Amino acid sequence: MNKKVQNYFVLIVMLLCWAVFLFAVAEMPLMGDPGNITNTHVVPRYLEKGVEEGGAPNIVTGIILNYRGYDTSGEVTVIFTALIGVLAVLKRENIKKDKSLVEISPVKTSVIVTTVVKFLTPLIILFAIYMILHGDVSPGGGFQGGAITGGSIIAFTLTFGLLATMRKFRLSIRIPLESSAVLAFIASGLVAMFFGLPFLTFLIPGFGFHTQELIRHALFIIIEIGIGVATGIIFASIFAAMGKVSKE
Amino acid sequence: MVWHLDLVLLLFLVATAIGVYRTKDLLGAAIIFSAYSLTMAIVWQQLSAPDLALTEAAVGAGVTTVLFLITISRTTRREDD
Repeated sequence: MNKKVQNYFVLIVMLLCWAVFLFAVAEMPLMGDPGNITNTHVVPRYLEKGVEEGGAPNIVTGIILNYRGYDTSGEVTVIFTALIGVLAVLKRENIKKDKSLVEISPVKTSVIVTTVVKFLTPLIILFAIYMILHGDVSPGGGFQGGAITGGSIIAFTLTFGLLATMRKFRLSIRIPLESSAVLAFIASGLVAMFFGLPFLTFLIPGFGFHTQELIRHALFIIIEIGIGVATGIIFASIFAAMGKVSKE
Repeated sequence: MVWHLDLVLLLFLVATAIGVYRTKDLLGAAIIFSAYSLTMAIVWQQLSAPDLALTEAAVGAGVTTVLFLITISRTTRREDD
């Protein structure tokens, strides 16, 4: 088969797929229709009882950590597994021998970039801390805050080099923190089992309302901080492993 | 929800998606893809999903683009074809 026939064949197959998907989309329920199956089963329950059952004023956090706790614990493990995958292929950086691309680049970093990054990094990290700690009240939470932290660490590394940044985030500090998300999640989930309740129950009965709220809040904060720290450090570690240039 | 803004954003999404696939310079493609992610973040916000908007802006537009750039700088910038 020559190339032109092959291209036409691909085009016809793509058009057929497009037509099939178009029919499938036409069959889908309208967005925002109150009669949708998704809007008649779990959503009303989540919206009506989410605050008292899920325990968080922000319903999304309540769903993520309480109704779908197992799903979230799996996702937390996935990020950790991604780091293991990267480190299995690429080695950890060696801050004494390796350099980053910025340090070997012939172009000097502009003073505008250095000043802006120097000025903005503390503010970005402050915003990330706010987001992590307010995860159960406002949108955002551990993962978002951690991603912002990781992004600011990456921006700092891109501007000031691997050595200057990773001297602050030594391997001996990063290695325990990388697993903190999984450990915090499992530890918080296990608390309920001491009271004879199922794994990942955050509302522990038998206390007064305020004590129960306090325990719930403490567990959520532990999880959010664990996820946030781990996500940030994992992003920084993946970046450091990928961005290092070893001296031959 | 502003109808006109949504239309512009969605058209921009389609345009950037086509741009990513048409661009032979991988560095340019990575930057266009970052613009796609940033637009997508605004679309998530328009769909009342601020959690996803934050994630998309931080991970999609920020971290992923940097990882793409590193990969390009370690391999080749031009797509062979």
